[in-house]
Amino acid sequence: MKPPTDRSLALGAYVYAVLAFIIVPLVIVIPMSFSQNDYLAFPPSGFTLKWYSEYFDSRQWRAATWLSVQVALLTALFASVIGTAATYAMIRGRSRLVTAFQILLIGPIIVPHIALAVGLYLFFQTIGLSGTIPGFVLAHTVLTLPFVVFTMAAALGKVDPNLEAAAMSCGATRFQAFRLVTLPLVLPSLASSALFAFIISFDEPVVSFFLSGVRQKTLPRRMFEDIEQNLTPVIPAIATLLIVLSILILLGAHVLRSRSVTR
Amino acid sequence: MNIASARQSASGASIRISRLEKRFGAVSAVDGVDIDIAAGEFIALLGPSGSGKTTILMSVAGFEFPTSGTIHVDSEDLTYVPSNRRNLGMVFQNYTLFPHMSILDNVAFPLKMRGLRTAERHARAEAALATVRLAGYGHRRPNELSGGQQQRVALARAIVYQPRVLLMDEPLSALDKNLREDMQLEIKRLHAELGITVIFVTHDQSEALTMADRIAVLRDGKIQQIGPARQLYERPANLFTAGFIGEMNFVDVRDESVGDDVAVALPWGETWRLPATAAVEPPAAGETAVLAVRPERLQLGASSPGHVITVTLSDIVYAGAALLLIGRLPDGTEMRARIPGASQLSSLAPGDVASFTIPADAMLLYRGKRR
Repeated sequence: MKPPTDRSLALGAYVYAVLAFIIVPLVIVIPMSFSQNDYLAFPPSGFTLKWYSEYFDSRQWRAATWLSVQVALLTALFASVIGTAATYAMIRGRSRLVTAFQILLIGPIIVPHIALAVGLYLFFQTIGLSGTIPGFVLAHTVLTLPFVVFTMAAALGKVDPNLEAAAMSCGATRFQAFRLVTLPLVLPSLASSALFAFIISFDEPVVSFFLSGVRQKTLPRRMFEDIEQNLTPVIPAIATLLIVLSILILLGAHVLRSRSVTR
Repeated sequence: MNIASARQSASGASIRISRLEKRFGAVSAVDGVDIDIAAGEFIALLGPSGSGKTTILMSVAGFEFPTSGTIHVDSEDLTYVPSNRRNLGMVFQNYTLFPHMSILDNVAFPLKMRGLRTAERHARAEAALATVRLAGYGHRRPNELSGGQQQRVALARAIVYQPRVLLMDEPLSALDKNLREDMQLEIKRLHAELGITVIFVTHDQSEALTMADRIAVLRDGKIQQIGPARQLYERPANLFTAGFIGEMNFVDVRDESVGDDVAVALPWGETWRLPATAAVEPPAAGETAVLAVRPERLQLGASSPGHVITVTLSDIVYAGAALLLIGRLPDGTEMRARIPGASQLSSLAPGDVASFTIPADAMLLYRGKRR
């Protein structure tokens, strides 16, 4: 190891500062969720679980959570299936439209969510999808597809196309070759991209803000409403639960991906 | 899929490739190829990269569909039949074992596709593994095997359902030299045992010469010559094959033939009469031509019958069984000689002028010019 120079010390300090700015808000939110105050305050005073029980006892919170879970599950299903099929076509296909397709699929990452949200809102209002589960799922599928495409492009790119040719020379149809050879090899990445689609959909506030109806509100939409009206420590309590969920999902995705590497 | 018929046909099928053409845009990868392959024959497609050899194999395998022409296996037209319904065994260059399956499941895969029950699948897969001397390896994973073992598993997978034809796309080029020679023998042995028809694509001429009954030499999508190794080596049909197979000396000459008497004028002024059989591609009188001689056909000294050349030696290379002498003819053309039994040659040194005799039957005459 070389002795630290001024430059490396400065870089280290910078990195830790960035990490601190990312992590400190999380560290503040967690104790606030156990605070006995009726309003958001830091440092918190006392210890109580009543904000958690308020969340779990409230019919409104439960309804919003259940809606978000349904939407996120369906989004994860659709995005991973459509995204995998599209990526497979782009990697194995010989079409000239591949570049155009790629740009369209990855577009939602580049276009500001608010622009997408306004567009989807006007469109869904006209065709009656606003505030419905199919509406949320369609919108979130568009948003999460780029992440599935990136993950699956990396995974499918590593699978030798001759493996499918070999399977076909053994008598497998094209679909059997995909199902029995390629799919098992990319399954860990597929599961990991579905997890990402789930958490992105579950957390998504902007598009949901526009698409939510009077009764059908996703959890993030309901949280914003509560922040505007009440601002009780229920919000940090839910935030804490979401942090735990996200960490679990990231760990799951990590385990899946390291499994796919060792294969 | 007809399992019964696949089981019965233990021996090879005949293959007829007629007027095969494959164009990719403006490029002709395969340009009017005709090959008739007898049942049980071992044929090698040999050529530099881009010669169309792999495209021909892929058309037989069903991974490419030709622009025109037909492919018949045992008089059944397979030209546009999908690859999974052709019942041909195929071995790829990079093993292509399924990494998530055990060795046994890999070998049993074609049987699974044919709807066999698990017990019979496993029994037959075990038997195929024994055929390639890998009995007892069934429970392992592909990444636990060496490259040579993996390719033997791929071979077992290709023959487990007793196909009539085995296609191999440069199957040995990923292996190192010793393994490659072992595998050459292994494949020859399997071919003899099973009586299967083999089409073997390679760019390695020694592999083609040692393994195949007949070799098709390809260049730019066209067959240059097709025949047994001996014919290709001793009487190449044209200048390309003469230069592509083995080592060859070339001398630019002018044809001076009168009637049936073949004669050539050499660049240093001499005129030689050649036997009529020397003219593989008879040039017209007065035209430029190329005289070709294998280095091992040159004899040191001027005592034996034949035409004598004088060569100014530039390099003397000890090459084990033979001594390689490299030098120049009076006009500057390079000439190589491989002389067996190096002991009496220790007196030669670079700069010396040596005489060599070319026996009359060692000379081959072609139209055209040296490249």
